[in-house]
Amino acid sequence: YYIAASYREKRLETRLSQLQNAVDEFNRAKNDFSAKATEDEMRLLRLQRKLDDEKGLRLLGLSLQDTMETLLSSGLHKQADQIYRDFKVPDKRYWWLKLKSLAEKSEWEELEKF
Amino acid sequence: MAAHLSYGRVNLNILREAVRRELREFLDKCAGTKAIVWDEYLTGPFGLIAQYSLLKEHEVEKMFTLKSGRLPAADVKNIIFFVRPKLELMDIIAENVFSEDKLHSSRDFHILFVPRRSMLCEQRLKEQGVLGSFVNIEEYILDLIPFDGDLLSMEYESAFRECYLENDQTSLYHTAKGLMTLQALYGTIPQIYGKGECARHVANMMLRMKREFAGSQNQILPVFDTLLLLDRNIDLLTPLATQLTYEGLIDEIYGINNGYVKLPPEKFAQKKQGESSKDLPTDPKKLQLNSAEELYAEIRDKNFNAVGAALSKKAKIISAAFEERHNAKTVGEIKQFVSQLPHMQAARTSLANHTSVAELIKDITTSEAFFDNLTVQQEFMTGVDTDKVNTYIEDCIAQKDPLIKILRLVCMQSVCNNGLKQKVLDYYKREILQTYGFEHILTLNNLEKSGLLKLQTSSRNNYPTIRKTLKLWMEDANEQNPNDISYVYSGYAPLSIRLTQFLARPGWRSIEEVLKMLPGPLFEERQQLPAGLHKKRQQGENRITLVFFLGGVTYAEIAALRFLSQMEDGGMEYVIATTKLINGTTWIKSLMDKPKPKTP
Repeated sequence: YYIAASYREKRLETRLSQLQNAVDEFNRAKNDFSAKATEDEMRLLRLQRKLDDEKGLRLLGLSLQDTMETLLSSGLHKQADQIYRDFKVPDKRYWWLKLKSLAEKSEWEELEKF
Repeated sequence: MAAHLSYGRVNLNILREAVRRELREFLDKCAGTKAIVWDEYLTGPFGLIAQYSLLKEHEVEKMFTLKSGRLPAADVKNIIFFVRPKLELMDIIAENVFSEDKLHSSRDFHILFVPRRSMLCEQRLKEQGVLGSFVNIEEYILDLIPFDGDLLSMEYESAFRECYLENDQTSLYHTAKGLMTLQALYGTIPQIYGKGECARHVANMMLRMKREFAGSQNQILPVFDTLLLLDRNIDLLTPLATQLTYEGLIDEIYGINNGYVKLPPEKFAQKKQGESSKDLPTDPKKLQLNSAEELYAEIRDKNFNAVGAALSKKAKIISAAFEERHNAKTVGEIKQFVSQLPHMQAARTSLANHTSVAELIKDITTSEAFFDNLTVQQEFMTGVDTDKVNTYIEDCIAQKDPLIKILRLVCMQSVCNNGLKQKVLDYYKREILQTYGFEHILTLNNLEKSGLLKLQTSSRNNYPTIRKTLKLWMEDANEQNPNDISYVYSGYAPLSIRLTQFLARPGWRSIEEVLKMLPGPLFEERQQLPAGLHKKRQQGENRITLVFFLGGVTYAEIAALRFLSQMEDGGMEYVIATTKLINGTTWIKSLMDKPKPKTP
């Protein structure tokens, strides 16, 4: 099973190719949801690496929610907003997260903007 | 030593003695001093069969847990491995044996497979080149372990997963074997009823095994009248709900393992006066839970809301008993009072313990989170808004509550709605993956495969019909003085137990329609008894049914069956057997897959 195998891979490239195999399998089995979810995961992994390289974070392997949380707590609101739009995160969950993170950092001015 | 096993109608001590005898025989076969290397999983169940003292009597001097690498030093003649037949364990054993061989030469190695030896494992040992090192390779048949006077469990954790996910019937074979052992000790069970795919398999295997022994008739007067085999997958709903009996809540919150629970020590600390308050115990408090403890036997199956009253009543009785001493005038009276003291003191300790436990639980059950969760569960069970995305679940995900809690709720909604609409299902799945991580896609797939989570295929939802026919929801559940089994979930009557109840009276024919809606075949078999063994029943004597839950049973379901046993006009008493004692959390956990991502 390719997904389990992908987690055994240390290198990102091989992991992505395992996931691509999984996507193919899911498509063949007409499991649209899983295929789409796996594609999203690949997209996320690539994005995480890009951000890790650029900003020196350690995002790779985190869930989408945790990624956004880390970004927000590092003050990278623009990038978090981008993920929120790209991955169609429900508004409610995202605003919760954003509120929490702003409140934790007591950035009341930023909060005012809502 | 195990008095609680002989309280019930069926003396389960006979079974315990039989397995103990076998263990002793094996130990005596390995002459001289011994060290036992344990497969860690087995230590709990074994504790219920034999304490360390028994092993010590048979020259067991050291005990280790099975670990890769070298064995700890021990000056013994025999080294015995107690293991489950699992291939990965064989590799560890081989490693152990190799490193030992280099050091000493005059040791004997033995393996005891529990519950059965396996060709595959022996083959693996051969490949590793260590098979020849073993003097004895035996199996120790331990299928059903007595937990209480009316309760047997195989403690076979992965049974549900293997049967419904992996299509592996090993556990069913062990079940059938276990039932054969039971019949050898307690007589052939004349009637067998069952519902479900796995139940059918077990019954078939039992009948086949019986034919193989056709020559030797079992001459024991049957103790059990009926055997009822039930698949867990005919009732997926019950384990998902939060149990509301005292024992059920202890299990939900702290987890009961092999009859023991570990509790946070703070509440138990201040009991011992005189000790300096500095050294508060930091180790969890370990408490054994079974019917040997009079008070626990009384309150374990009560709805938690009735436990407080029972405890304060008990407190009054005990303090009244202590007051008695002022009335003791004559020497004889004083003597009698003193003779009762140990018993009374034990009762007082037991009362103090359970008051503390009840306080701990109360802190949780009175919390808002617990209440909200319960409200949503009850809405699902009564069929309120099960077809759309639930805002409470949504909020819980947004706040990243424990994943298992989410999964329990989502699965429950799915079961009560006979599957979720594509849109709803996909929404939940996406939310879970995005919040908790993509790796849980494996778990979600497992849940779908085992039917806990499913896509609605037909527009018809069977659940309301089942609920109405079987009266699964009782509006007026009486928690203090229950008159119906629905008290164990404060309103919801477990489906599995309703089926059991209907079987006893008025019979399954009356609910044929509903039985058809539940998965798996329905069947009935008779086992011929030799002439002269037909039981003549005395007036007023209850019949005994052994109910076997394939894939696990919860404490609340057990409580419900005990309640039925005690009903005056019931005419039926129940003994419960299962592959594993479960609750929603341990159950979902057994279906989870967690690949550990490596960090690059």
